[in-house]
Order: sequence, then structure tokens, then C-alpha cells
Amino acid sequence: MEQSGSFFSFLIDNLTQFLSFTGFANFTVGHGIMILIGLIFIYLAIAKEFEPMLLVPIGFGIIVGNIPFTPGYQIGVYESGSVLNYLYFGVLKGIYPPLIFLGIGAMTDFSALISNPKLMLIGAAAQFGIFGAYMLALLLGFSPQEAGAIGIIGGADGPTAIFISSKLAPDLMGAIAISAYSYMALVPVIQPPVMKLLTTKKERLVRMKPPRQVSKLEKIIFPILGLLLTTFIVPSGLPLLGMLFFGNLLKESTVTKRLADTAKGPLVDIVTILIGLTVGASTQSTTFLTPKSVGIFVLGATSFVIASATGVIFVKILNLFLSEGNKINPLIGNAGVSAVPDSARVSQVVGLEYDKSNYLLMHAMGPNVAGVIGSTVAAGILLSFLA
Amino acid sequence: MMRMKRLILATVLVVFGFVSVNAQSVFDLRINEVMLFNRTSYIDSYGERSAWIEIVNTGYNSVNVAGCFLTNDISNPMKYRIPSADPIALIPQQQYLVFFANGKSVHGTLHLNFTLDSANRFIALFAPDGRTLIDSTTLPIMDADKSFVRMPNGKGEWQISELATPNSTNELFAGHVTAGEKFVKFDPYGFIMALTAMTVVFTALLVLYRLFKLTARVAQKPIRIQFRKSKQAKVDVVEKKMEEIPGEVFAAISAALYFYETEKHDQESTVLTIERVSRRYSPWSSKLYSLQQTPNRIVVHRKLN
Repeated sequence: MEQSGSFFSFLIDNLTQFLSFTGFANFTVGHGIMILIGLIFIYLAIAKEFEPMLLVPIGFGIIVGNIPFTPGYQIGVYESGSVLNYLYFGVLKGIYPPLIFLGIGAMTDFSALISNPKLMLIGAAAQFGIFGAYMLALLLGFSPQEAGAIGIIGGADGPTAIFISSKLAPDLMGAIAISAYSYMALVPVIQPPVMKLLTTKKERLVRMKPPRQVSKLEKIIFPILGLLLTTFIVPSGLPLLGMLFFGNLLKESTVTKRLADTAKGPLVDIVTILIGLTVGASTQSTTFLTPKSVGIFVLGATSFVIASATGVIFVKILNLFLSEGNKINPLIGNAGVSAVPDSARVSQVVGLEYDKSNYLLMHAMGPNVAGVIGSTVAAGILLSFLA
Repeated sequence: MMRMKRLILATVLVVFGFVSVNAQSVFDLRINEVMLFNRTSYIDSYGERSAWIEIVNTGYNSVNVAGCFLTNDISNPMKYRIPSADPIALIPQQQYLVFFANGKSVHGTLHLNFTLDSANRFIALFAPDGRTLIDSTTLPIMDADKSFVRMPNGKGEWQISELATPNSTNELFAGHVTAGEKFVKFDPYGFIMALTAMTVVFTALLVLYRLFKLTARVAQKPIRIQFRKSKQAKVDVVEKKMEEIPGEVFAAISAALYFYETEKHDQESTVLTIERVSRRYSPWSSKLYSLQQTPNRIVVHRKLN
């Protein structure tokens, strides 16, 4: 009788302990809100097709990272020795972003830029979004490192944002990455009003000269020259620029097709899955649901608006010095933010609204890929000054 | 005999593998902070104050410091062997372990059998082989409660710190000013940063633009020369025609070719059925022919003339 009593107390003790370990016992309102955010991301990705390749892993990662558990059992992304912690190492140490850049390089065609190199300058002008947001963040009381990491959202480049925030403000990385990817997905919503506001009807109808054909030699020289020049100026951008141009050389050399296919296919897919899932999992209610995150989201949106606006305004200024027939349609100015190819697509769509036969996509791809280079150079400068 | 050799080889590989893994791990350890005269600072579990030495694991795996040696005498590297049985010797990634140099090793693993004072200001950490030096430093004469720290934490140069940070990063206090903070002192609103950075970005892309304009000229030169050698007039017409063709036409042709090559058809020839499909025998699909082929010498009959 006594034995059965002790057995039951043993059973009840164990059951109580088991229940205390369940997610229900450790659940807080913060967990609930974060899971809801994750579900919204998944909904936007699947139902609205907003950057599904990124928002599905990130959204699911947010859910994974916010399942309540008892700490100390090597489960969570921040617990040393857990599987998620090992995967998160690639984010924390900035390993994944350069690998993604390798893939981006292997899938990017720089022909539009090579055929009309002055479009590079639009890619440079749009980087003002980064530094505009940096100044605003300083005004709002963020530390210089945090301001730099927030500013890079304006570069509209997810891997660069993750890379810089992992170096400058690791605590804000989740919010910064989510903000960057969210606004990249919302480029078709954010940019058109800015473009229409800053241009006249006459400017929107400007027809650009068709791009010339680019020789294979030029395409091969581009990544080599680009690497040498940009990294000699900003060596701190080497991990990203090096991989970007290396990937592009793999593509353009045409003798390393297998390597280029791997870089732009399976490799970039694997790294995208890992980076999306772990960045999502790193956003926990305690670090994400804070007033700082609200500030990051507001500044992120502002930086996108500034970047789009400066790109368009720069084209208008550039047109003052260009002869008739060589003028640039200011609607491609927004493409200077490096959300490839979404912002170029926005140029095309807005351009077609005013002239059904004016196709701006190929022209907009020039500043678009220049924006990738420009934002990476800007990231290197931020690292040099603030790290 | 062969088996014996394999066994020896495997043993050697395992031993060397273990040694190399172990060596890799213990070399992540650094002496990170040392306090020589402890008057009001860190207290050990016996309520006593003494000189202390902080070891940091700079790696991203746990490192077992057990078996390593601490000494204040370079001629006696094996002065204090950190006991192997104590789990406290396992330092998690990026974490710390503080040893007390109070000469009271009977108090436990963290209490060394030597002391540090103005005459003994050398401290060294040796690997478990007792010969390989992992890290060492010689302390300067410091005031009480000041510590000698690596700045940045775990990897930088040694310097005297006003505030001690046992079991935590040296960058907590110590008046360490980051590069960003220094920059913001001169540029509180970010104007200089924006101006400098935009100038650099513009310069980089402007130089790239000039270079590519130049490259385009050089790269296109051989083509032009080639064209000139052929019938000039004809080429001009062709070039003119090429210029007239808009890029969209090329894009449409490319898209059509892409779809053709990837065989994306609206209607497929395959029929989905639950009926039994009868296949006629054919030597081309026969296993007999495909798997049991005997190699034959191929005789090539050359046709003369």
C-alpha cells in the first residue's frame, strides 16, 4: 500500500515536471505575438507572394524561435551547443551573407551596366538612403553602431544588412533583418508614389537609347576590375564584394559552368534556407518586441523612401548635363536601391503606365546591379568607421 | 601481420587525431585579466581575497582546461596542474574561469599552489604536454584593485584597467571607447559620415564608370577593325539594322528559346492511365542485351580515298 502510494507520488512528481517543461507552462503573451508575426509573414509570402523565398523561412523561423521551453536543455537558438545555435553561428559570424553574394554574383548579368556605365552613378546616389537613416537614427538616440546597422536597411540588401548588423549591433540583427526583408517585399508599394511625386509627365515619357551589345571580354573584365577597384578603396567590403565578383566571374568565364550553376542554384538555396530560418528564430519577444524595434521599422521605411527619392532626383540632375537623345528616364532612379530585380520591375511597371511601349526594365537593371555594388561599398565604409 | 599494421595505423590516427583536436581547443584559451593586489575586489568561496587570473575561451566550442599547467616560473612550467576530475575545468565558448593565486591548492581546483606579488609577476599557461606555451604575460607593478587586461577582450594588447571585470568581458567598463563613439564625438549628427561615405561610394563607382568606358573602347576595337576589313558599306547597313531592333525583340527571342529548350508545353504527350500498358518486346529495352554485353573489339573499316 505504502509502495503504491510512493509510486503515485513519483508518477505525479514526474508528470508535474513534464508539464512544467511543456510549451504551455512556459508560454507568455510575447511568445503569442511573435508566433502571430511569423504566421503573418507566412501568409504574406504564400497568399500575396511577397518575397516567398525569404519570408517563408523567416516566418517559420520566427515560430521556431518562439516556441516556449525550459532553458538549459540545449534547445533554443541562443543556447550554446544546440543545433539551432550551431546553424546560427553562420549568421552571427557573417558566414552566410558572403555565400549568398557568391550566388547573387553568379546569377547577375551586369551587361546593362557595362553597356551604359554612367548608370553606375545612380546606384551610388541611391545609397544616400543608408546615411540619411544613419543621421536620423543618431538623432533618435541610437548608438553610432546601432545607427550604422539600421542605416544599412536603406541599401535594400538583406545579406548586407545581416552582415553589418552582425558586426555592429548583433542584438538588433533580428529586427534589422526582418525590417530589411519586409521593405524589400514592399518595394512595389513604397516606391511608385515617391517616383510619381518627383517626376513630371514629360520626364516619365523619356525614351532611352537601346543598350548596346556587350562583348564576352568586357563581361569577363568587369568582375576582375570591379573587385580590384572597389576592394582597394574599401577593403572592409572584401567578404561581400569578393564573393559577388567571384560568382560573376564563374558565370561570365563560361568555362566554369558547373561551379556557377552550383553557386546560383543549390548553394544559394541552402544558405537562403539556413539564413532565413535562423534569422527568424533569433527574433525573440524579449529582444524583438521593444520600442527600439519600432524605431528600426520606422527608420527602415524612411531609408527606403530617401534612397528611392535620391535616385530619382539624381537622374533629374544628371539629365541637365546630358544631350537630347541621351537623356535618362528618371523612373529608373528608384532602381538604385539594390532590391534586385524588384525595384527594376517597379520602374518598368510605372513606365508602362504612362507609355505602353516604353520598356524600362533593361535600363533599370543597370542602376539596380550598381546598387548592389554601391550598398556593399557603403557597408564597408560603415564597418571601417564604426566597428 | 597486415591486420596488426592496420591496428597500429588506426591507433596512431586516433591518438594524433585526439591530440590535434585537443591542441586546437586549448589554443583557444587566453590569459585575459590578472589582478596582482586584491584589497577590495573579487572574493573566493572561502571569503578570502587574493591575486587572481582570468582565463578566457575565445573559441566557439567548450574547452577543457583540465590537464593544462599554470605557473609563475618559466623554468618550472608544470608548477600547477589543473585537475582532470573537476567538471568546473570545462570552459564554455566565449566564457571565463578565474583562478586564485593564493598558494592554497587544498581549497580546490581554482586555487593555485603559488602566489603572485611584486616579486612574482610572471604568469604562464602551458598545454597538457607541459612544454607548449599557450599564453603568458608579465605584470607591471600596479596599485591595489587595478587589473591588467587584454583590450579588446581576449585578443588585444595588455593594459592597466581601473576597474576589474572577473568572469566577464574586459570591455564592460575600463573606459573603453569604441571607434563609433570616437567618431560620433566629432560628428554627432552624422553629416561628416554621410558626406565622406557618399564621396567614397561615388568615387568608387565613378572610377569604375570611367574605366569601363575606356574598356569598352578597347574591347570593341578589334571588332571594329575586323568590320573595317570586310565590306564596309555592308557592315554599316547591318550595324544600322541591329541598332534599329529594340532590346525587347531579343528578350522575346531569348524567352522563346528558353521555353523551347526547357520543354515547357501546355499539352504533354504522356497519358495518365490506370489501364495496364502493354509493351512490345524490343531488344533496345532488354536487360539481356544491356547488362550482359561482352566487350568486343571494334573494327573500324576505313574507307580508302
